[in-house]
Amino acid sequence: MSLKYGVMGLLKEEPLHGYEVKNRFEAMLGGTWEVNIGQIYTTLQRLERDGLVRPVGERGDRGKLLYELSPEGQRALDEWLALPDSGPQQLHEDIYVKLLLATRIANGGLQPMLARQKRAYLQRLRDLNRLEERARRDGRTDLARLVRGALLHTEADIKWIDELSETGISGGSE
Amino acid sequence: MTAILVKAIADLRRRRVQAAVIFLTVLLAIATGTMALTLMSQTRDPYQAAFQAQKGAHLQVAFHATTDQHLLTTTPSIIGASASGGPYPATTLEFKRAGQTFYVETFGRDNPSGDIEVLNITSGRWARANDEIVLTRSFSELNKISVGDQIKVVSAPTTTMLTVVGEVVDIDEGSADLSSQHAWVTTAAMPALTTPDLSYYLMIYRFPTDPTSSQLQGYVDRLRASLPPGSISGSVNYLLIRNVFNITNQILTSVLAAFSVFALAATVATVATLVTGIVISAYREIGIMKAVGFTPAGVVGVFALQVILPALAACLVGIPAGTLLSQPLLANSSHALGLAYVPSFSIPLDLLLLAGGLLVVSLAATLPALRAGLLKPIAAITNATAPRGTSGRRLRVLGARLRLPRAVILGIGDAFARPLRAVLTLVTVLLGVATVVVAVGLPRSFELINNSETGAGHYQVVVNRTNAYPDADVMRILNAQPETASVVALDGENFTVPGITDPVNSRLFRGDSSRLGYMVVTGRWFNAPGEVLAPASLLHDAHLKVGDSFTGTIYGQAIQLRVVGEIYDISNLGHSLFMDYATLPASIPNSIPGRYLVTLRPGSDVSAYVQRVAALQPDLIDVHASDTSIIGPVKIIDSVLLAIAVVLVLIGIGGVFNTLLLNTRERLQDTATLKAMGMSPRQVMVMVAASAALLAVVAGVLAMPIGIALHRVLNDVISASAGNETPPSVYGVFNPIELVVIPLLGVAVAVLAALIPGRWAARTNVVEVLHSE
Amino acid sequence: MTELVRLTDITKVYQGGITGALNGVSLSVEEGEFTAIMGPSGSGKSTLLNLVAGLDRPSSGTVTVAGSDLGKMGESALARFRRDRIGFVFQFFYLLPNLTALENVLIPAQLKGSVVPGRAEELLDQLGIKEVANRYPARLSGGQQQRVAIARALINKPMLLLADEPTGALDTNSGEQVMDLLAALHRDGQTILLVTHDAKLATRHAARVISVMDGRITDDARLETTEREATDVIRMRGEETRR
Repeated sequence: MSLKYGVMGLLKEEPLHGYEVKNRFEAMLGGTWEVNIGQIYTTLQRLERDGLVRPVGERGDRGKLLYELSPEGQRALDEWLALPDSGPQQLHEDIYVKLLLATRIANGGLQPMLARQKRAYLQRLRDLNRLEERARRDGRTDLARLVRGALLHTEADIKWIDELSETGISGGSE
Repeated sequence: MTAILVKAIADLRRRRVQAAVIFLTVLLAIATGTMALTLMSQTRDPYQAAFQAQKGAHLQVAFHATTDQHLLTTTPSIIGASASGGPYPATTLEFKRAGQTFYVETFGRDNPSGDIEVLNITSGRWARANDEIVLTRSFSELNKISVGDQIKVVSAPTTTMLTVVGEVVDIDEGSADLSSQHAWVTTAAMPALTTPDLSYYLMIYRFPTDPTSSQLQGYVDRLRASLPPGSISGSVNYLLIRNVFNITNQILTSVLAAFSVFALAATVATVATLVTGIVISAYREIGIMKAVGFTPAGVVGVFALQVILPALAACLVGIPAGTLLSQPLLANSSHALGLAYVPSFSIPLDLLLLAGGLLVVSLAATLPALRAGLLKPIAAITNATAPRGTSGRRLRVLGARLRLPRAVILGIGDAFARPLRAVLTLVTVLLGVATVVVAVGLPRSFELINNSETGAGHYQVVVNRTNAYPDADVMRILNAQPETASVVALDGENFTVPGITDPVNSRLFRGDSSRLGYMVVTGRWFNAPGEVLAPASLLHDAHLKVGDSFTGTIYGQAIQLRVVGEIYDISNLGHSLFMDYATLPASIPNSIPGRYLVTLRPGSDVSAYVQRVAALQPDLIDVHASDTSIIGPVKIIDSVLLAIAVVLVLIGIGGVFNTLLLNTRERLQDTATLKAMGMSPRQVMVMVAASAALLAVVAGVLAMPIGIALHRVLNDVISASAGNETPPSVYGVFNPIELVVIPLLGVAVAVLAALIPGRWAARTNVVEVLHSE
Repeated sequence: MTELVRLTDITKVYQGGITGALNGVSLSVEEGEFTAIMGPSGSGKSTLLNLVAGLDRPSSGTVTVAGSDLGKMGESALARFRRDRIGFVFQFFYLLPNLTALENVLIPAQLKGSVVPGRAEELLDQLGIKEVANRYPARLSGGQQQRVAIARALINKPMLLLADEPTGALDTNSGEQVMDLLAALHRDGQTILLVTHDAKLATRHAARVISVMDGRITDDARLETTEREATDVIRMRGEETRR
């Protein structure tokens, strides 16, 4: 979802061709999101089909074509930006599943698992701290903010782990 | 109201140390105050009661032996007396007992009771036979003579033995340690005991109402006018005697009153310090109290009650204690008056003291507590408790410049962190130190005065001769002794001084009298015949000053006299004259010295000398070592002074203790931080002690001039009550080292008082204090 | 690497409550380490720090710092030990309110009786607060106060710097500046023991994070210090998880 609007957002600044869109997108996210050029083109084509972007001028040498945001695209982008993210929370981590399974099949092995996980989270926190520091040093406050978000999430995860190791996951699957 | 009381009592339980400080301070102050007021209100009454019970004489007049007896019996109607006694034949009797010589004014009187001057027999009975004599109890007790003892009269033409058959209390004379005493024999015994030149008649008068001083003066003037000239040789009135009785109590009460005010001031300072301290430490709590609905008045009430409750307890103990403590002193004066001792106190007075004490304490507590009442709740909850800002900066800079250890610098920086508290503490310490100064100085002044009266350090032996033994022989005996350095002979005569009703008791010296130890207030000692010295009272009453000349009369002869100095002499309440014996014209008969003051060479054995000389003429001369011991009433004053000094020092210690306690509690966080920084327990104690020491140093430095000034004032009051001005030497009883040592002792005491708060501070639990937020 | 701190089988029982109690804790800290002790409030982490500082004594077990057994020292010896060997930084700064910043910094040196001329000023300069040296704490911001407190902790060149929630009373920015200061000190070789409930702060500079829970050490993590690529740390997935 956000790739689509990310592309539209970049095109709002100025007309770009596909490669430029890919580079700018990756730079914006500080390398935390690698996209392949194919994905970009597919997205651009779909947007053009929906009338949200349109090509500017002739196809240039080596088939490079500039795209710009259409008025409809502009409207759709504004709508998206105004809309709060109210969808269901997405938990991507394996650990949730692991922990749930551990209580069923690996009784007793829970605490070591939690400890190992916490250590991993601490390591992640440290790494995120470093990243943030680096982003700041490079003058990338936008990126530092992104890392900050990750930091806070990880902190929450640590709190969750701490709480679990205190109370355990009782009650099984029901 | 219940909530206020409940909260106040709960707080009291928590602040036991403060409650104890208030209790002790108020207790000491109120007990002292009660003593002073009880003495002041009660000392007059015993004499008055005894005077009425014993039908005391308002006026006693001595007439020459040549006066017509019949004429004397008409005198009461001349002055409108409602009762009278006499004329009693009288003489000065000299008797010996156990090697000592005594003089008593002896009267022929057959009945101890009557309408006037009832003589209260306390032991034995009245004289019946011619060889019996009755003495005053005061005289007997002082000289350890009891009923049944024999005395040898040496002044009579033939030596006679008399038996003491009774002791009485006579309301018309002072006690034996302050004035000469009367004795009584039967009228029939008198002729054999009388020496012609020492005899006179005594008339005593009583009036329907108590006459004033000027009325009494009028009566004497009327008597003088209606009798042949020179008939009256002297008079004594009841006011004078009452004063002699009350003089000790007066001095005592003025001393007590002065220091009660001190104690009260110190108490007020301590209470105010305490309440401000409690309010400051309870800022947060005050906010909470207000938040749960205490009104400002309620908050004030809670804090004031915390002080008033222990103060009330202290009053309930202190007022009875003070009343009880004043009883021995009152009993002492009752005893002297021959009264049965009745515990005397006044319930209304005690209630007044209770009310007054509580009022003062309440005011001292309420004013600072008002601050608590006025605090805004939020400000109170959030306000920090420790004083902030630049306080003590200059002191710290000074300390650093003096290269004092850091702990000391921090301590002195904190001493004045709360200026009001520091000032109040200064006051308590200052009062304590000033009182110590007075307690050290006044006994010494008393001793100097005593020495001047008894010749201590100037002459060691006093010799009296009987008329039968010639002056020249006494001088020969004394000068023959190898230890004798010098002899001054003394003659007592009565001079009439213009403007003074009664003849003035005068001392005439033969020999070098300038070194007998008498204190000259202004001017100089006489060095020529006709030059005289007199105490302030006589100079004042006769409108004389140093340098003035006047005409004195003795045995009808006028003599030109010139005042060359003012002397200090408390005998006769300041009515006396001092002059050279050569002032008397040779034409005056029988005025030959009878008393000899002997100065011995340094290192002589006084008692050996006395024994040896006394043995030469045991019947004709009396030899004794000069009695330089301090008289009883002065000892009482000295010990009361000491007690008061102890009380005020204790209050001062309480004040310092209290302030340091508050300071260290408020500074708990700072102290904990310092400990965490590595300040050792010893350094913490040094810090707290330095704070106390600085306060004490400042208070001590301020207290010295105040104490010295107070010592002057008290001396002046005491001298004035005995008709004198204070000689400069009596002021200067302090030596420079003491003036340094006394404040230093104050510092030492303050540091001691700092030990407990210091220990508490040193034991501060860093973890608890710094992690309690 | 030499061992600087050793706690052996420490228990600490508090009367009237279990808050901050310790139950069988053993721990060793080496010279030059930056160690964070992490745990929720009441877990006993501050107690641990107080034991190391000699501010508190264990109910049982031994505390050894720089080879000295603190249990064998009297109060005065402990005071000397703190003064000479330990620097302590508190959450609420605890500057003496009636002393200037510079005077506050000088206190431990003066207590020791050995003031090195210029060192306090140098420290204030190093910590970026030279210009407020003569101000009183009431006129300093929280961050400035804490930096004064750090200078005070460092004045006697302690072998161990203890910090108890040093950023707890500060805003995020000042807190980070204080943490960066601590990191800089660590880089210069200062051994630091930091107590915090904040995992972000604990991992920011400390290579070792000790987790304390209910009076026990539940984890002692030595974190890798090698720099990682962003992609190894954060990965944004977007379209792939499209539903």
